[in-house]
Amino acid sequence: MADEVGELSSEFASVRVRIDTDGNGPRLRVEDLRTGHVGFLDPLELETLAWLPEGGLHKLLDPSLHRWRAEDQER
Amino acid sequence: MTSAAATIPWDELIEHDRVHGSLYTDPDVYAAELERIWYRTWVYVGHVSEVPEPNDYVLKSIGPQPVIMSRDKQGEIHLLLNRCTHRANLVCDAPKGNSSAFRCPYHGWTFSNTGKLLGYPFNSGYAGTALKSELGLGRVPRVASYQGFVFGSFAEDGPTLEEHLGAATDAFDRLVRLSPTGEVELTAGWLQHKCKANWKMLLENETDGYHPQFVHSSIFSVAASGIGDLYGEKSTAVCRDLGNGHTENDLRPEFRRLDQPLGWFGTDPAKVPDYVDQLTAVHGERTREILVDGSPHVMVFPNLFIAEIQLFVIQPTAVDETVQHVTAVQYRGAPDMNRRMLQQTIGSVGPAGFLLADDSEMYERNQRGVQARNPEWLQIKRGTHRERQDENGFTVGDATDEVPQRAIWKHYRSLMEA
Amino acid sequence: MHGATPALDLDLLREVEQFVYREARYQDELQYDAWESLWTDDGVYWVPANGGDTDPTKQVSIMFDNRARIATRIKQLHTGKRHSQTPPSQLRRLVSNVELLPPPEGATFGPAGDVYAGANFLVYESRERGVTLWAGRSEYALRTTDDGLRMAFKKVTLVDSDRPLYTLAFLI
Repeated sequence: MADEVGELSSEFASVRVRIDTDGNGPRLRVEDLRTGHVGFLDPLELETLAWLPEGGLHKLLDPSLHRWRAEDQER
Repeated sequence: MTSAAATIPWDELIEHDRVHGSLYTDPDVYAAELERIWYRTWVYVGHVSEVPEPNDYVLKSIGPQPVIMSRDKQGEIHLLLNRCTHRANLVCDAPKGNSSAFRCPYHGWTFSNTGKLLGYPFNSGYAGTALKSELGLGRVPRVASYQGFVFGSFAEDGPTLEEHLGAATDAFDRLVRLSPTGEVELTAGWLQHKCKANWKMLLENETDGYHPQFVHSSIFSVAASGIGDLYGEKSTAVCRDLGNGHTENDLRPEFRRLDQPLGWFGTDPAKVPDYVDQLTAVHGERTREILVDGSPHVMVFPNLFIAEIQLFVIQPTAVDETVQHVTAVQYRGAPDMNRRMLQQTIGSVGPAGFLLADDSEMYERNQRGVQARNPEWLQIKRGTHRERQDENGFTVGDATDEVPQRAIWKHYRSLMEA
Repeated sequence: MHGATPALDLDLLREVEQFVYREARYQDELQYDAWESLWTDDGVYWVPANGGDTDPTKQVSIMFDNRARIATRIKQLHTGKRHSQTPPSQLRRLVSNVELLPPPEGATFGPAGDVYAGANFLVYESRERGVTLWAGRSEYALRTTDDGLRMAFKKVTLVDSDRPLYTLAFLI
């Protein structure tokens, strides 16, 4: 079960966002519409996002952090 | 700290065919049981279907201890103690939820759902210390599951879960075999039934084949039920010592004699055609035999009672108070059968159940009766003269005999004297 | 869930109050047959567990009796061998906050009535175990018949339905 919140697109990314209730509590389900990859964020994680300082996600936006990385690359 | 168990003369309290009344009332005995049973052996905690998604958690217990059962993002199941490592507040309050991390409401200490301490507010107050690596949530050191049933043991070392379950693994196999998908789900929620009685009054009653005709005669006489006859003097059913304190009322001899598929559930295949078709697709010609044999009636020491279509979990909360948690077994992917099992469960068990309300009354009457000091002993000698070994070497007795009670106390004594 | 109370019909409210007080007296005084006669032929008696918002066709309940099961419950009490009521609980209950309510919205899991009402209760139960207090709310779907009001549906939501409960073998 998932209630649609909506789709958000920019020139760099397109995501569909839903509130998923398959688990023992609600989660935000985020689908990357270009690849179909799905991730979940729970309320405590989302609250943390609300308090992110400017640039707080910059480290995670590094394309080589986990999505595009060489097999032998050090983490 | 002196061991409570070491000061109690178990050999003077537990004999082969009688046990001393103080075992149900003495707070020192209860303390010894926590130490030697509940905080040492394998104890049933929860089922994988209660945390179906990554980051799901549910609150459970091991005896009086509050436990969080969580599934991490990789799918692994953890049993964490629900106690903040800072100043002992409960970390989780909701009976279930989905979160990758738990934040204590007292001072905001935050732990991952694997138990790791992620951080705390105003961290300059802890300068120079290595709190994060030292103060993760307490955990039940050994976690293992069988057919989706998750057990925990507070002992770092000891028998494996499968060694502990031993012959009782067959009960789980027989239970899930009745599901067309080979899986059960505990998704129907729990009733919590409290009684003023020692937990062993419940443990011993679960496989007591002597009581149904007396305790449950009121419902047998007004509702069409064949259960009473299963435990009659002429019944071909047997009771069995499965080893390690696990015990069984094996009703299969009676069901095979009656030879009615689903007769054990008081119905017939025509009432649940979809279920029977699904099961036939899996088991073919063996389906009929499986449906005749029915579901197990096995007490897994110390706290999980597989009662055909229900699961009971015994939780001691004090020497004279116990909570019995009960839910309906649900077969994954068998909605027609599940509806019936749920409605039969609601009618039979829990605080208002046609059966369990009366069992609980007996537990409480037992607890009041055992306060009397004469006689000092409870008799468990029924059927000692006709005990025998079955083809697999297990001790069995007639349907109404006290083989299970003797088996429970024999194992209990071995644990307390260990 | 019920919405706002409709325009007050004092005569009807009085009739409903007398009905729920009478039901309470039958329950307290173990007048099982008189109590059973207050039900319609399709009556449903529901005591949910774990809050009042569960679906009793998917989740366990403390009680979820159709009419046949209500009859079985009464027959079992009449045997005199319903041990959890032998001897019976000594009971007195207070019923208050009786209100006429509009028809409920959404699934109710019981048959419809032509009069809807709600009331709060506090039951004082004395047994050998000790005294147990049971507090909660009853919601009724009542039907007007030639013999007066009858219960088509009674939902009893205990304040502590999500906690461990002692045996509840009397009529709540």
